[in-house]
Formats: sequence, C-alpha cells, structure tokens
Amino acid sequence: MKFINYRRYLLIPFLLGMGACSKYLDVNVTPNNPTSVTPAVLLPGAQAGTAFANANELNRFAEVLVQHLAGASNSPSTYDVYQTNGADFGNQWTGEIYGGALVNYQKLIELGDATGSKSYSGIAKILKAYTFSIATDVWGDVPYSQALQGEKFLNPRLDKQEDIYKGNSSQGIQSLFDLVREGIKDLDSPSALKPGTDDVIYGGNLTKWKQAGNTLLLKFATTISRKEPALATSVINEVLTGNNYITSNANDMNFTFGASVGSQDPRYTYSFISSFQNDIILSTRYLNLLNSLNDPRLPIFFTKPSTNYVTIDNGFRGTLPTPVANWSRYNKYVTGNSGEGPVRLVTNFQRAFILAEAALRLGTPGDPQALYTEGIKASMTLAGLTADQITAYLTANPTVATLSGTNEEKIAQIITQKYIAWTGNGLEAWNDYRRTGYPVLQQSQNAAGIDGTRPVRAVYINNELQQNPNFPNPAPQSNVRVWWDVD
Amino acid sequence: MRKILLGSWLLSLLFCLPLMAQDITVSGRVTSSDDGSTLPGVSVQVKGTTKGTTTDANGRYQISVPASARLIFSFIGYTSQDLAVGNQTTLNVALVAGSQSLDEIVVTAQGIERDKRSLGYATQEVGGNILAQRSEPNLLNALQGKVSGVQINTQSGAPGASTNINIRGITSFNGSNQPLIVVDGIIFSNDVNNTQNTLFGSQPSNRLADVNPESIESVNILKGPAAAVLYGSRASAGAIVITTKSGRNNNNKTEVTVNSSYNVQNVYGIPKFQNDYGQGANNLFNSTSTNSWGPPFAGGPTSVTNTQGNTVPYQAYPNNVKDFYRQGMILQNSVNIASGDANRNYILAIGNTLQNGVVQNSKFNRTNVQLGGETRLQNGLRISAQGNYVQTVSVGIPGGNGASAFGQITRIPRSYDLANESYQDANGKSVYFTPSTNNPQWSVNNERLDGQVDRFFGNFQVGYDITKWLNVAYRVTGDTYADRRKLTLPIGAGRSPLGEIQQDNFFRSELNGDLLISARKDNLFIEGLNANLLLGNNINQRKSQELYTDAASLTIPGFYNVSNGTVFTGSGETSTLRRLVGYYGQLSLNYNNYLFVELSGRADQSSTLPQANNTYFYPSAAVSFVPTDAFKLNSDILSYAKVRASLARVGRDADPYLLNSVYVSQSYGNNVASITFPLSIAGANIPGFGVSSRIGNNNLTPEFVTSWEVGANLGFFKNRLSIDATYFESRSTDQIFNVAISNSTGYSTRTTNVGELLNKGVELVVNATPVRVSGFKWDLTLNYTLIRNKVVSIAPGVKSANITGNSFTGIAPSIYEGYPYGVIVGTANARVQNTDPTAQYYDATGQYAGQYVVNGTTGAFAPGIPNSVISTPQPNYTAGLTNTFSYKGISLSVLIDTRQGGQIYSFPMVDYKNTGALYVTGIDRDQPRILPGVIQNADGTFRPNNIQVPAQTYWGNVGGLASEAAVFDATVYRLREIALNYTIPKSWISKTPFGSISVGVSGRNLYFYAPSFPADPEINTQGAGNIQGLDLNGPPNTRNFGGNIRLTF
Repeated sequence: MKFINYRRYLLIPFLLGMGACSKYLDVNVTPNNPTSVTPAVLLPGAQAGTAFANANELNRFAEVLVQHLAGASNSPSTYDVYQTNGADFGNQWTGEIYGGALVNYQKLIELGDATGSKSYSGIAKILKAYTFSIATDVWGDVPYSQALQGEKFLNPRLDKQEDIYKGNSSQGIQSLFDLVREGIKDLDSPSALKPGTDDVIYGGNLTKWKQAGNTLLLKFATTISRKEPALATSVINEVLTGNNYITSNANDMNFTFGASVGSQDPRYTYSFISSFQNDIILSTRYLNLLNSLNDPRLPIFFTKPSTNYVTIDNGFRGTLPTPVANWSRYNKYVTGNSGEGPVRLVTNFQRAFILAEAALRLGTPGDPQALYTEGIKASMTLAGLTADQITAYLTANPTVATLSGTNEEKIAQIITQKYIAWTGNGLEAWNDYRRTGYPVLQQSQNAAGIDGTRPVRAVYINNELQQNPNFPNPAPQSNVRVWWDVD
Repeated sequence: MRKILLGSWLLSLLFCLPLMAQDITVSGRVTSSDDGSTLPGVSVQVKGTTKGTTTDANGRYQISVPASARLIFSFIGYTSQDLAVGNQTTLNVALVAGSQSLDEIVVTAQGIERDKRSLGYATQEVGGNILAQRSEPNLLNALQGKVSGVQINTQSGAPGASTNINIRGITSFNGSNQPLIVVDGIIFSNDVNNTQNTLFGSQPSNRLADVNPESIESVNILKGPAAAVLYGSRASAGAIVITTKSGRNNNNKTEVTVNSSYNVQNVYGIPKFQNDYGQGANNLFNSTSTNSWGPPFAGGPTSVTNTQGNTVPYQAYPNNVKDFYRQGMILQNSVNIASGDANRNYILAIGNTLQNGVVQNSKFNRTNVQLGGETRLQNGLRISAQGNYVQTVSVGIPGGNGASAFGQITRIPRSYDLANESYQDANGKSVYFTPSTNNPQWSVNNERLDGQVDRFFGNFQVGYDITKWLNVAYRVTGDTYADRRKLTLPIGAGRSPLGEIQQDNFFRSELNGDLLISARKDNLFIEGLNANLLLGNNINQRKSQELYTDAASLTIPGFYNVSNGTVFTGSGETSTLRRLVGYYGQLSLNYNNYLFVELSGRADQSSTLPQANNTYFYPSAAVSFVPTDAFKLNSDILSYAKVRASLARVGRDADPYLLNSVYVSQSYGNNVASITFPLSIAGANIPGFGVSSRIGNNNLTPEFVTSWEVGANLGFFKNRLSIDATYFESRSTDQIFNVAISNSTGYSTRTTNVGELLNKGVELVVNATPVRVSGFKWDLTLNYTLIRNKVVSIAPGVKSANITGNSFTGIAPSIYEGYPYGVIVGTANARVQNTDPTAQYYDATGQYAGQYVVNGTTGAFAPGIPNSVISTPQPNYTAGLTNTFSYKGISLSVLIDTRQGGQIYSFPMVDYKNTGALYVTGIDRDQPRILPGVIQNADGTFRPNNIQVPAQTYWGNVGGLASEAAVFDATVYRLREIALNYTIPKSWISKTPFGSISVGVSGRNLYFYAPSFPADPEINTQGAGNIQGLDLNGPPNTRNFGGNIRLTF
C-alpha cells in the first residue's frame, strides 16, 4: 500500500513543473529600483549634478589654470603644468554632465510636459542651458541637439559651438538663448505639480527662476560678445528692457550642499576630508595679487592656520611645505562651515560686472563705473564685509575703486575684480580669462603641456572617441581655442 | 493501477526465482600484482547487472552469483579484469597496477556514472588524493597544472583570496564565465558576491573556498558544453563535478580517518630592489617624497630630518617591503567516520582549516561538518541524503588600490624604516612620511574586514526501480548561505577620513528539484545494441539578498558599531530572484561496447527573459568509437584507441532585471569626493533619483554557445603510455551584453543581443609510466592547454567595449574586436609606422617602422595614443608536468608548470620603476641615458634619438601609469608542488589499533622563474571574474611548505 501511494507522488513534480509555469516564472520585476518617478525626485538629483560639475574636478582644473590655487600633487599638479588629455574628465563628462544633470533635465522636461507641470519643464530648460554652457565652454563643439535621446541617436553628432550659442534652424539646433527663453516662458504656464523644497536652488520660487534665466542670458551674451558683438548687444538690451534679472545677492542662483558626509560640497571634501586633500593649496601668485590690492576678502576666501599664509607657486616641483595642517586652503566663503558651499552658479556681482563690461565694450545702457562699483560691493557684501568696511576699502584704494585709462584698461580692471569675486568658481574665471586675457597671468613654473600653452579647452574624453565616430580623431589638443575665444 | 503494479511485482518475483536457485557464493582476495599488497575498496561487479560489492580492508570479498556470470574487478589506477566464475568458489585476483586503465568509471552530468570509453567528449578526473595534503587549502589552486583545458589564476597569497577559473576560454561577454560547480549533485554557488568597487574595495573569496579539499573523493572536469547539456545554461562554461567521500566502499567496516597537516607560508615573489639611493628626487633628499631618486647612501648625507622633524639615519632598509609581511601558517585537521557498503552506508566528516595569513592580523578559519548516508529499503526504494554545514570566519585587511596598505606599500622609499618608525601618534592617528596617506602599518593594525559565512547545503534523493529496466528518482538539492561582512575604517583612515563602518549581510540560496526517469533496454532491435533513455525535469530557483548598512562619519573613536555613525546614506538593499524550469532528455546507444552514440536535448524556460522569448531549446550529439575493440586491433604496442566527436549548443538566459530601464538613487563623484542621495541639507533629507546609465531591452533573446570537439584516446604498450588529445571550437553568439554607447546619449550602456566570440583550442593529456621495476614506479602526467580566443564582432559600429566592472580611466579591461577577450585598452606609445601615409609618424622608407617616437626637444616620449590595446592577458599556452616516483610505501610527486605568454598590467612595477626603487633603476644611475626611439625631423623623416636624459627622467618615461610601460610579459616557469608521502607498511602496525599510517611533507610555489617580470606574474588582483591580468596593488604570493599525517583506525 505504502509504496503504491508513494509512486503516485512521483508524478507531482511533473505536474507542478508543467501546470503553474507562467506564474512561477513571472518574477522579473526588479525590487531594487523604481521604474517610474515623480519630477520632485528628479529635480534635486539633476541640480546637484550641475553643482557638482561646476565645483568638482573641472573646478580644480580651472582654479589651477587661473592660478587661484596651485597644484601640489596628483591631477591638480599635472594641470598646473598644463598637462591634460582625453583620459581626464571622463567622470565629469559622463557622470556629472551628460549622464548626470543633463539627461535628467531632459527627463524632467518630458515628465513636466507629460504631467502638465510646466514649472518643472521651465526650471529644467534653464538649468539644461546652463549645464550645456559648461560643456561647450570647456570642450568647444559638443553633442547638443541630438544628445540625451538614448537609442534614438546612438552616436549624437557634434554641434558647432557657434550653432549651440546662436542656433541653426537648418540643422534643427535651438540656441541656448532660445532654450532659456522657452524655459522662462514655461514658468508662466499653469503647472499641476509645483516645485517646493525639492528645488534646492530656489525652493520653488518661480520669480527668482525667471530672474536667474534672464541673468543667464546676460552671461551667454557676454561669453560670445567678442565673437558676435551685435547678437550680444541685442540680447543684453532685451534683458535690460525686460528688467527682470538678478539685482540682489539674495537672489543668486546658488546650490547649497549639506554639512554631513555624503552631502558636502566637493570643494570642502577635497580641501579638508578626502585623502587627496593635500593635492591643492592657495597659489602664491594669487596671494600676492590680493595682498597688492590690500583686498579685505583674502582672509575670508582662504585660511591662515598659522602666522602666515602657506602657499606654493604654480608649477612648483620642490619639497612641499610642512606641516600640511598649516596650508592655506579655501575658507568658509567657498566651502561653508562644514561643506555647505554654496556653489555660486549665477550671481548678482556677475550681473553687475557683465553690464559694466558690456557698457564699455558694446555701448549698452548703464554707467560702467557705477556698475563696476556695484559689482565690487556685491561681492564684498557676499563675503560678509559691512557697508562701512567696503566704503573704507574703496576710499583707501582709489586705484582699485576707480576705472581709469583706456576702455581696454578699464575692462582689465573689471575682469580682475570679477576674477577675485569668482574665487571658488574656476570655470567662470577661466571663461573670462580665455575671452579677455585678464587678469594677465604668468606662465607656471615647469610649464609643459602642448607647446607650453595654458589649456584653452579640455580634450574630448577617450570614451567618446572610442564609442562615437562623430568625434574628431585625433581630438583637438588643449591648445586649440574654442569658437568664442578669439585671441 | 494498483492491480497492474502488484502484477508486475509478482511477475518480477517469478523471474527471480529460477535465477536464485542456481546461485553460488564466490569469495576471494584481491591483491596488487606489484607487491602483493591487498587492495581494499576494489569494485567487484557482476557483468551486465547492477549487482556488485567491494573488497574489505583486507582485500577480501564475497558475492553470490550465477555460475554463468562473469565478474569485473576494477580499481582506480589498475587495469580492470573480467573473469568467468565457472564453478569456482574462490577467485583470487592480482590486479596489474600502474598502467592507467583507460576505461574508468567517471561521474558525468546529473551524477550519472559512465564508462569513460562511452563518452564522446573530453572529461578529466582528478583523484582527491592528489588534491589533499598539498599545502594548499583552496581546492581550485590545488588543481593548478593538473588539468588541461583549464585556466586557473589566483588573486594572491592572502587567506581566502579568490581564484578565477575558466574552462576552454571565455564564452560570454558579460555573464559569468566560471564553470558550474556541482558537489554531490548539489549545484554549489561559487559566487564572489562582490559588493564593493572592484578597484578600491577588497575582493571577497569565491565561495568554493567553503569546500574542504580533504573531504574530496574525486573531481571531474566536464570541459565542453556537450558534457554539461543536462545541467542547463550555467554549464555552458563547463562544469566541475565534485564527489565527496562516502562509506560506500567500506564493506560494512567502520573506518575512522584522521588527517592533520601544518604548513608555514612566506611571501614570495617580491621584486629585487636597489639599495644605493634613498628618498628624494633629482639627487636631493625630500622627506615627503615617495621617490628613491635622492642622494646615494655612499657619499650622501648620513642623517636627515624626517617629516616629523626627527633626525634619522640616511641608509637603506633592504627588507622594508618584505618585512611588512609576517610568516603565515595553515593548520588543517579532519576526522572522517565512514561505514557501510554499496547499499547502506553513512559518513560523518568534520574538518577544520585555520590559516594565519602573511598579512598581519589576517585570518581564515573554516569548519566543515558533513553527514550523509544512503540506504536501500526492502521494497527496493533507495534513499540517500546528505547535509553539510560550513562556517568560514575570515579577518582581512581592506585591500585595493588607493588609500589601502597595499596601495601604499609599493611607494616606500628605500631609506624609510617602515618596521621601526612609529606608525601612530599618542592619539592613534597615522604617522607617515607623506602627510596625505596612511602608514601601511597603521592600516593593517587599524582597518579590518571581518567576514563570517554560515552555509548549509545538502541533498535528498529517492529512487525506485519500477521494473528492471525503468527507474524513477527525484532529487532535491539546496545550497544556502549567509555571508556577513563588516568593514571597519577608523577615524583617520585614508578611505574614509571621518571613519566608516559597513555591515553587509549577504544571503544566497539555490534550490533544485530534479525528476529523473531512466529506462534501459539491452539488445534493442539487434543483438549487442543497448540503449539508455533518460528523461528529466528541473525546477530551479535562485535567490539573493544583500542588506547593507553604511555608517559614515563616526563620532566616538574606537567604538565600532554602526550606531556610532551619523550618516547612513550608503545603506540599502539589493535582492534578486530568478527561476527556471527545464525539461531534458538523453538517449545513449551502445553497440557492442565499441560504438557509442548519445543524443541530448533540453528546453529551458527562464524568468529572466521576456515572456515571448523565454523558452529555448538546445541539443547535443556525441559519438565515440573504439576501433581497437571493433576491429580487434589491440596489440602490445597499440593497446587501446578511441576516437570521439561531439557537437553541442547551449542556450543561456539573462541576468535578472535587464529588461527595463530604471531609475537609481542619485549619486555623484568617486573616491576623491562624492555625494549620495538623500542629501541632508539644512536639516532636511532630500531624496533624489536619476535615470540609470543603462538602457533596458524588452526584446532580449537567449545567448547561445555552439561548440564542437573531436578527440582521441590512445593507449600504447599495455596502456603504459596514453594520450588523450582534443581539439575544440566554440562560437558564442547573441551575447546579452550592456554595450557601451556614446555618453552624450545620456546613457553609458544599452542591453542588447550582440556579438560573436570564438574559442579554439587544443588539450592534451599524456600519462606514462616510463619505469616500473620491482616495486619502483615512475609515473608522469603532462597536461597541455592551448586556447585561442577572439572577439569576432561586438555590435554594429562598436569596435570595443569595457568589461562590466570598475576600472581606471585609461586602463580599461575591454572587449576589442579582433582581439582576445579581456585585453587592456589604454595609452600606447606613439610609434613610427609605414602603412598609412596620412598618419603623423609615417616613415615611407619603413626603416624606423615600429620604433617609439621621441620628442626632439625634451628627449621624452611623444604623447601616447589613447584607446589602444596595450595588454593581452590570454597566455599562448599553459602546461603542467607531474612526475610521481613511488617505491613500496614511499611516493614523491613533483609538479612543474609553465605559462607561456600573455601579459600582465602591473601598477606596483610601474611604481617601483617610477620611484627608482627597482634594482635596475640603481644601476649606473649617475650615467645619462637615451630613451629608445626616433625623433621626427622637420621634413618628416626620422633620426635615431640621441638626446641624453637623467636616469630619473628615463625610468619615469619608461614607467608611466596608464600606459604600455606598465605592461609585462607574464611568462613564468614554476616548481608548483612537491609532495613526499610515506605509508608505513601494514606489517609494522598490525599490533596497533591503526589500519594505516602515512606521513608526508609538501611544498607549494617553491620556485619560479619569470624572464620578463621583476616579480611573480601569477597575480590577479581582481580575483575571480571577467577582468583578468591586472596587478593593482595587492598582497604578493606565498611559498608554503609543511608536513602532514594521516591515520586510519
């Protein structure tokens, strides 16, 4: 009896195997990742990418090139002697810019449009334009109109920097200006979902976003102002006429990080936490510049743990100063108390300096001297100096306070002050330096690189050269100027 | 139904009766013809039936058989004998030893025991006796050099280091290329479970480390997919079928076996250093420099001021790298209690392996308990079960590149006294000559990686002979373990300066249910044609779950509990579940024991593929022919010949969850600086997600490997010389692969079916007994493997792709069209060429073609060419030669092996060259040098380089990281293993309780010679996996030796 029953059970596995198959096998939905998300979680992730791109490796590269900082070892010391190639910035291009911030702005625009939440689309377009400007200013011609579309364009073509800034309708390229304008327009449309605390930059304040968008137009116009003065003039006039741009430090487009590990500004991590913290130090040259100008922002911008500022010269290859605890590094103005930053992306002082320069160079409305003074005051106020302290400084240092000489000499003064104000944001200082040649910087010691040229672009990352046949191979070296960089 | 079954039972009873009436009882003693010693455990089988027994400890047997029967006496290492019983009641047999029987029984797929001659494909068996007691606790390492067609690379000599094994090359772009491991029918996870960045993290053990080599009866390597079609997809990379010891051959006597061994380990393979120049650069002392380009010791300063401000002598510390390591030891103990016979038996085995590694504070402690048995009930039901518990406790030191002890040890100036300089201050903070990194001594004494694996695996099988020709069995196997790891990085650790604790709980389980129906029919259709049919069904489930808590930014120094953390953003969970249902069948035909044909097929239905494509079928066919039997050709010269051929195709499903594009919690940055969502900003936690860098694909189809092989087994001189040769080819198509795409698409990869991979190879096994005279015997075994692997194509427009895993920018383990799998893509030196007139360095004359291009101003190499294939890890061939000499109870075996060709990419060697530490950098250091190469003239022609540069520039130029200067030929010759064993003659111990005593000494990795590499090139920092040929700062290899004793009661 017993084993007869047993035999019957032998058939059970067969039945099990055949009958319940489709349900049994229906287990391939991942429990580890969401397959759809809301705009509210995409926005902060993308914004952080833009801030990270601005403040991480590209910032160290640019800060060393503009000699705010000097490279003591590892990659900053390589950049400091002008060496860079396609092995650099792969993480920046891939993780921070295209695959980090940009693709998520693209998703956000799609999601905002699909859910009738144009506020998100608008913010995403403004930030997409800003982030693309980082890419094109650093690398020149980059994938733009065909980028970020996944399998639709597996090998996005490179759009000319000229077309990215100016647009090219025959090629279907929307200009960065139009992208920003479209974003600003979206902000006026009704929106089902509204950003709030998920908007780390402005907390969902759409008025501030419109101001930021317009100020961004000013920045783009200035960038191309030497190559395309007429277009630049018309954009600046358009913004001035609209009269809705950043006029107060409180409305700066800043991304503020957090104070705990994993939430901190990369400039803080790199200066004080990481095992690479002793790769970078205040440049002796920048110290000398600030000292020569008696600039009161020096102790606010950089630390002085011992009696004197401890710095090295750019390109220095000798024994590094010890102890490292005494090195002068970014101060809290840049890094925040414990890594909050903020990363200053578009600012009030920037707007004032832009308009001062444009008034001189392009003849746009405004008094250059007044705008220049406004820029200095905005920066010094941002640094925490009181109005009295600022006035006292400007009174005591008339050569700094007053624009004098030829237009070119005045522009040199403006850009030098803008350069100081941009301490901590190397990309903006490097853009201005490449565009105007100010402030005049001496070659680093031991300068090598391509023919000893201070890089005027970054080299396309090797991975793109490998994967995308649209990239020129060999890629232009770091001594080849980008389109808007006329001399 | 009941009636029919009862009827057939009665019928079979009727058949039995007349046979029983004629049975006679035969008994006898089986001895070795060499020395007359008795042979226990010899299989005595009644020909043509499943009936049989084995000889007892004294070589005696007894069996009831019909007088007309023939008995087959077989024993591994001896020639089988086939004798008629006639009317004899005593049948003593002397088996001829030495000449390997070429007709051994081997365990093939699904545990089916097969006569080797019937196999149409290559398998190779390694007895447990040549894996145990070999100073090597890792089973895979113990197989090195002993099997053909197999490539085994160990990571390092650290305890629990992971070992990579590939059989017949790489067949999948992205999937696991490790063979399937089967232990006693249990599909056994050999996963690495890597949960950290493969560059900066520590490489965990591969979980085959949980098997105790001492418990192994035999290991059978099923090399081609033909051999493994019955195991399904995962065996497309071959299978390793491990059979552990049982009580089956004990003849109802209880035997207790005790094994003990003790070995010491020392680091071996550290390069030779110069000891003439100390810390600094350009002949000047520099206390913070990692270089040894400082002033000479002779004539230089006698003392210097170090970074801490102390005056220290300026002298060489020749062993400052070597003395960083200690002497390790391995203590292995095991006890087996086994009893029973073929029908009813049990075994209890307990083993422990304790290893103190060469790296300070590192440890490995494994305890195995196995209980198993089988019985045949009166009603014919056969039940067997086995359960194993393994606990593996390990303590390691966090490894990997960068801020780990091993990342720093290669950058120590020759004049730094690592052993005696204090490594920490009063507050426990690291003290070192470079301010930005941890002292390696501090790292090994403060950073820890603790792990504990608790594993249970077992099987349960019931089988029943429904009729004489039909058997049904069901087998359930399970393998499950929890691997709990804890990484402790104290405050001040380079990896995590604010301190970090990672708790990682990894759980994995696999369940298999197999229904096996086997039918057998002799003399099918025609006389002499025997057929076996096997039908099966497999239900498989694999589950994994990883729960990890990352506690960063510690508050209280020295308190290492996750509650001490303040940031937990790195925490999370990853789970996978996959299921598969398979149906398979195999028809084996045997014609007169000299012609064999086998046809198999399997259909799988997998949960990981889109429903429309989730069922796939794959077949195989094999044929084997023994002409020496068929045509009665065997002579004393050609004693045996078999030719075989097989053709097989194996389908493979995808990994789980590849079908959809997903979103991931956003993070930015790397080891330099990073952020991870949710961000904590001004007291608020802000979640952030972003699109994953991979584009999913809902149209995936299975990938396939199609292979064929032909081979021959030849025995000469009564099989004293035998050759087993195989040629194989396999073609992998429709690879499921995350193809790298242009990053400006917004993504990095897309999952798709692409590509083709080709493997061709030759395997050769030669066994010979050159000398056999009066008790002395010399056996040799040669294993030779040659594999040519080629990436035929990847995807349209895609010439190369990174292998999944972390890699350094510019040092990318890659799949590159036209090259073998796994080449390293990086920056190659610019060379003169004469093929492309538009190229920058084109030499129409061809005179300088191939030479390096040197900058005419600086005398340094011209900028390199990125995205070039700079290193090919695949060796040309590997070979191992084992010589075994035995005389009476003494046996000495010596294994020499070699790996010819293949390249290794080495960080340490670049460091040692760049920093002026390597011996060669000290030779004639004061003399200027000229880099090899040519300079391009203004008119485009070339002239030989004649620009003199200092030694430091020279060695810096030939040694840059991320360039071909880091690539070396990995050819090596090695004295892999020596084992000397002595079995005390039985007569000496007949008065003692011992059944046998044997003692031995053994040594591993005793000597190596690497012509082109300054250290031991058998290093593979990435451990088991598809990334091979990288030496990225890890512990070195070890030389082990020790003694062992084996007692039976």
